[in-house]
Amino acid sequence: MVFDSGARQLFSWEEVIDEKPLTASSQTLLPHALAKFVAQSDTSCMIALRHGKVAGIVTRQDLLSAIAHKANWARLRLTKVMTHPVITVAKSELSLVAASLLQQFKQHQISHLPVVDDDNTLIGIISYRHLLVIFREQKAEISIKRQHQHAQLFAEITLKIRQSLQLKEILQTTAEEVQKLLDADRVVIYQVLPDGTGKTTSEAVKDPYPAVLGMAFPEEVFPTEYQQLYAKGRVHAIRDVLAPNSGIAECLLEFIKQWGIRAKLIVPIVHPLASDQAAPRADSHQLWGLLIAHQCSGPRQWTDFELEFMQQLAAQISIALSQGQMLEYLEERVNLRTAELTEANRALQQEIQERKQIEIALRQSEEQLRLITNNLPVLIAYVDAQQCYRFNNQAYEYWLGQNPAELYGSPIKAFTQPDHYQNIRPHIETALMGEQVTYESELILKDSRRHSVSVSYIPHLELINQNQAKINGFFALTTDISDRKAIERMKDEFIAVVSHELRTPLTSLHGSLKLIATGRLGNLSEAGQQMLAVADESTDRLVRLVNNVLDLQRIESGEVTMDNCTCNAAELVEQAAEAMQTMAQQHGIEIHTQLKPLFIWADPDYIVQTLTNLIGNAIKFSAPHKTILLSLQPHSATPQLLQGAAAPSDSPASAALFCVKDDGQGVPSDKLDSIFERFHQVDSSDSRKKGGTGLGLAICRKIIEQHGGKIWAESEAGVGSKFYFTVPLSHDQIHD
Amino acid sequence: MISKLILVIDDEEPIQKVVGLSLKMEADWQIICASSGPEGITLAEASQPDAILLDVMMPEVDGIQTFERLSNNLQTKDIPVILLTAKTGTAEKRLFQKIGVTGVITKPFDPLSLASQIAKLTGWLL
Repeated sequence: MVFDSGARQLFSWEEVIDEKPLTASSQTLLPHALAKFVAQSDTSCMIALRHGKVAGIVTRQDLLSAIAHKANWARLRLTKVMTHPVITVAKSELSLVAASLLQQFKQHQISHLPVVDDDNTLIGIISYRHLLVIFREQKAEISIKRQHQHAQLFAEITLKIRQSLQLKEILQTTAEEVQKLLDADRVVIYQVLPDGTGKTTSEAVKDPYPAVLGMAFPEEVFPTEYQQLYAKGRVHAIRDVLAPNSGIAECLLEFIKQWGIRAKLIVPIVHPLASDQAAPRADSHQLWGLLIAHQCSGPRQWTDFELEFMQQLAAQISIALSQGQMLEYLEERVNLRTAELTEANRALQQEIQERKQIEIALRQSEEQLRLITNNLPVLIAYVDAQQCYRFNNQAYEYWLGQNPAELYGSPIKAFTQPDHYQNIRPHIETALMGEQVTYESELILKDSRRHSVSVSYIPHLELINQNQAKINGFFALTTDISDRKAIERMKDEFIAVVSHELRTPLTSLHGSLKLIATGRLGNLSEAGQQMLAVADESTDRLVRLVNNVLDLQRIESGEVTMDNCTCNAAELVEQAAEAMQTMAQQHGIEIHTQLKPLFIWADPDYIVQTLTNLIGNAIKFSAPHKTILLSLQPHSATPQLLQGAAAPSDSPASAALFCVKDDGQGVPSDKLDSIFERFHQVDSSDSRKKGGTGLGLAICRKIIEQHGGKIWAESEAGVGSKFYFTVPLSHDQIHD
Repeated sequence: MISKLILVIDDEEPIQKVVGLSLKMEADWQIICASSGPEGITLAEASQPDAILLDVMMPEVDGIQTFERLSNNLQTKDIPVILLTAKTGTAEKRLFQKIGVTGVITKPFDPLSLASQIAKLTGWLL
């Protein structure tokens, strides 16, 4: 497409020629002619006719001049003031080409041009002013049309450019469209690189001209000063590069010749954004590159429009660059965000996977737990704070015929006999107060037999914070202990029977030996008497052993319950001392006491048993003429206090401290603890030498522990021993 | 010394013999023996002994039941009953005291002081 500059624009006949001009006969008097002018105020000239032919022309100015300067003007006729001969133009010869028509007016320096036919008869008149107005109007219209056309064309190209957001594609489209529009031989987009070198990034080139696409240009080809000029917006249009005044640098000429370039138009592409910036900035510009059109076929005069068009497209490229960079920036952000989201998603997926695995593990664990609980020979239930069952294992079905599904949500009371519920209710309430409970009871199971059971209630505490816990319910474990009970009964019976069966012959044996030893049943030889003594002593030991075994068994089995009461501890010590007095005398030992009046909460018989046992040991392991000291004093149970230390004055006593001190052979320090174990003696030969059973101290320990006290020994081998035990003071004593 | 008649109720014959010899040697007391509770009660009613030495662990009717029957028997209720038992536990001793026996002598006893122990428990002068 080639644009008309407007010079060849044609007029139409009707718009140029006034076909009804002001006319009058050449003989018309001037007043009449004046009257005609007045009647047609917009007419500036009048054609004077003679016989219908153009005789002359009178302008309004001519007429007014005559009136002003000639006194007889009223009698004058038009012939006197008209201009003649008159330049006319035949309609057939009339050029309606605007330029040539205007040229005629300029050439003859006329303002009006009558148009005649071939007979010289007036057809109309052309006014220069009118012609000029029309010409200007047309020119303006053309200009508007052209602007519109340019805008439309520019919009079309811009649209094509904008159809892509990919910079490379935009640049290539631009090069192609510019090349087509300008009908240039080559259009390239040259990118200036930060180091001053450059390269052609896009190109549209006609055959047979060589392509320069991708070619790298050294810095010399495009010096820094040129770059600065272009960065400021310089546009360079060169009609003929070979012309002496082309302004092409010498160094470029070689390059230009190499590529056969004759004319070139260079428009800068400025970039409002520094390449290293993360986000666009409006106040920053740099030369990104050049939009270059080459004409290789010959010199070319670049028009203003072409120049302007190139500039506008360069601006579009600049915008596209910004958008591209913004896009890149956004894409980068999107990619970054996408990567973050992908990572978050991956982590989420992993967490979901882990949770699923945990859930599966939990389910498996729960299933295993259910399998275990259902197969355990124990009733297992979970009871909530409202005393309703929330879980029952399958044993409820097996043992009691109660379906766990039916039990779920039901109150314990609904499935328990009223009297039994009254018995277990205190235990339930204790468990719901957060304290573990274990008790023994009896249940009638599905086999209609009464079974002994051990029941434990374990509170389910949920920590609210470090100091507070909420009781959600409790776990109830019921174990059938019928077999154990039966075995215990059998054991007790067995021990009782054995005891009796052993003691009975022992009694006979012991009695018989004693009676023989009196000599009243006949005299024995000395050796016989010695043997009799051995037999007597052995029966004594056997009796003690049987007694101790029975005692220990009874205490350990819990068969024995301490019948605690407030009792005078000093009296108990005196009582024990008196009981052992005979034995002490036999061994030549003196027993001394050092007692403070204290009242203890204890079973007096068992405390006396403990004391006699300890005193008996002290006698047995003391040399003749030694003394045994029995002491009693208040004692604080504070753990910081050394064992055996009396309560300091500022610490309230909570127990009575009993001490049996002897000056005997003592106990090695490494055996001070083990001597309280059954059948444990410092010297294994002791039992034979001293007649001990190895159970006395074990019994003492059991008795004291059942009182809530503590027993221990302090000793130094060869110096003596101190056996201590504590028993809680009675309530009254503590308050006193 | 006043001679006493002691009824020994024990299912073990050797015990009867040892007790008899012991009391004879120490205090010259006489004994009569029964091997079961019911036999002992009959003998007590018939012979009215000064005291009864009663074994606790006996088949069928044990010593405690025998004591209860003796206590509830108008003819025997005033005769002092001393349990002769192998049961030496504190709890058992308490039980024996509770039911109101005159005393308890544990087996094996000292045959040379058995009469003294009985005299002490019954308040007799030996």
